[in-house]
Amino acid sequence: MRSFPVGQTAWRWIRRILMTGAVLVLVVWTLFPFFWIFLTSLKQPLDVIAAPPKLIFEPTTQNYEALFMGQKRGLYHTTRPDFPRFFLNSIIISCGAVGLSFLAGVPAAFALARYNFRGKEPLAFLFLSFRFAPFIAFLIPLYILFQKLGLYNTYTGLILAYQLITLPFTIWMLRSFFMEIPTEVEEAAKIDGCSWWGVLTKVILPLSLPGLAVTVILGFMFSWNAFNYPLMLAGRQTFPVTVGAIQFIAYEQVLWGQMAAASLVAVVPQLILSLFVQKYIVRGLTMGAIR
Amino acid sequence: MARSQAPMRRHEARLPYFLLIPGLFLLVGMLYPFFLGVYYSLTNYFLQYPHLFRFIWLDNYIKLLGDSFFAYSLKFTLAYTLVAVVTQVGLGLGVALLLNSRIIGRSGLRAIMLMPLMMPPVITALMWKIMMASSRAGILNHLLSFLGVGPVNWLGDVNSAILSIFIIDTWGNLPFVSLILLGGLQSLPYEPFEAARVDGAAGWGIFRYITLPLLKPFIILAATFRVMDSLRIFDVIYAATVGGPADATMNLHMRAFFYAFQWYQMGMGMAYAMVLLALVFLASYFLMGYWKRAAEQTTI
Repeated sequence: MRSFPVGQTAWRWIRRILMTGAVLVLVVWTLFPFFWIFLTSLKQPLDVIAAPPKLIFEPTTQNYEALFMGQKRGLYHTTRPDFPRFFLNSIIISCGAVGLSFLAGVPAAFALARYNFRGKEPLAFLFLSFRFAPFIAFLIPLYILFQKLGLYNTYTGLILAYQLITLPFTIWMLRSFFMEIPTEVEEAAKIDGCSWWGVLTKVILPLSLPGLAVTVILGFMFSWNAFNYPLMLAGRQTFPVTVGAIQFIAYEQVLWGQMAAASLVAVVPQLILSLFVQKYIVRGLTMGAIR
Repeated sequence: MARSQAPMRRHEARLPYFLLIPGLFLLVGMLYPFFLGVYYSLTNYFLQYPHLFRFIWLDNYIKLLGDSFFAYSLKFTLAYTLVAVVTQVGLGLGVALLLNSRIIGRSGLRAIMLMPLMMPPVITALMWKIMMASSRAGILNHLLSFLGVGPVNWLGDVNSAILSIFIIDTWGNLPFVSLILLGGLQSLPYEPFEAARVDGAAGWGIFRYITLPLLKPFIILAATFRVMDSLRIFDVIYAATVGGPADATMNLHMRAFFYAFQWYQMGMGMAYAMVLLALVFLASYFLMGYWKRAAEQTTI
């Protein structure tokens, strides 16, 4: 190769073209579904099922109107899935789940990050193992228990069930953030007469403030994504958006336009929140394993 | 002085347990239903006929052994995991290398890659379901028609349904693999590459003998997470095919769900769940060990 400079530049050009092509493919592959769903959400029912698919059509906001008002109007009959209610439910359950996990997770993560005690690592790994356990192993007994305890179709029940998602995550994320704080800072505070409470509230928490924010935001997002627990443990009054969106697959037909609108509305919080935690998403998804 | 420190130390020793109380309280709340579930898997618990409830030892599991539906679900779960993880890690490595090279708009591309990552898997599946409409009205079929490929019955045909699940799953999770491997590539030490270049190595040689071995812990870690999530993939299948057509996409997780919530055979559902849990446990045990050894070898 070296002896043919012409060949080398040609090779460089081929490489550049191939790489540009790959980038284009990647961008289209990633963004096209969003683009298409957005178009679909603006289509009238007849335009949605038009063959071949229409790129140019008369846009309508009626799918969104039906979504938020749940009204019946001509072709826009809806299964009345009360979407605003589902959205609110998602917010309530996710906030509750993250709040509870945070309250229990901060002291637990502090203990697991800063103290040595018997059974520490096994306990930490026990928490971690929930990240990998198939949800059905918990869902079946929880379904039976919740029916008996009156927790079925209640916010309390769902917030408790969501602990399976948020608690292990919160503990491992916070632990990884706490461990980043050098122990010297803590030692200095102890010499100044701080108790463990002082160390936690005056040193650890203020120093890991960004980490706390990231943990809360990501925990909220993971709760928002949850589908399988609420699918069986929630009822029409407590469905979150993920279960709500699937309600558009009615018995006889699928309300494509409304389902597209619902899908987009359901992920708006995710897309906004992810802007704030971009750098930490991979860390969050690996429970703090990758920094 | 010494006297005043002794109770202090005892207090210090008890402190972590005290701090863990709220967490342990919730942990018990999580473990109790689990062990209750293990117990149910040894019973014939039928939700609609509670008076028939009987402890039947391992009968549920013995029944599984000769069950052709179980055999299919097990085979499908394992085969899907193997193919999906190998493909996704391979593609993810390619994307990571692309994102790591000098191209325009690299950070923008990285930001775009994060979008599918934070999507609820159910919503991802619904979005693709819209695009995978079986008639010519489906946009994917329309695009394929330009290549002369006739309308594919994406989610309605046994083979293409499995492929469709794989496509949806890959769209959602390829960024995860890519970004882990990209992080790995960016953390690699500079010296081995420099030394190799001095020794006259180039392109493929550097990739094969330097990049890949150094990247191994990251590849294993990404694969580990993907294996666990592929073994228990549920949301995407539920939203896209509900296990159909003709049970083609019925993995162990879906089947457990069907036993419990379609046929109300809670005992049998839990038996499926336990088999799946055992698979996940075995896979994580081996992969974590493998990862530890690889990480030690490369001292990252």
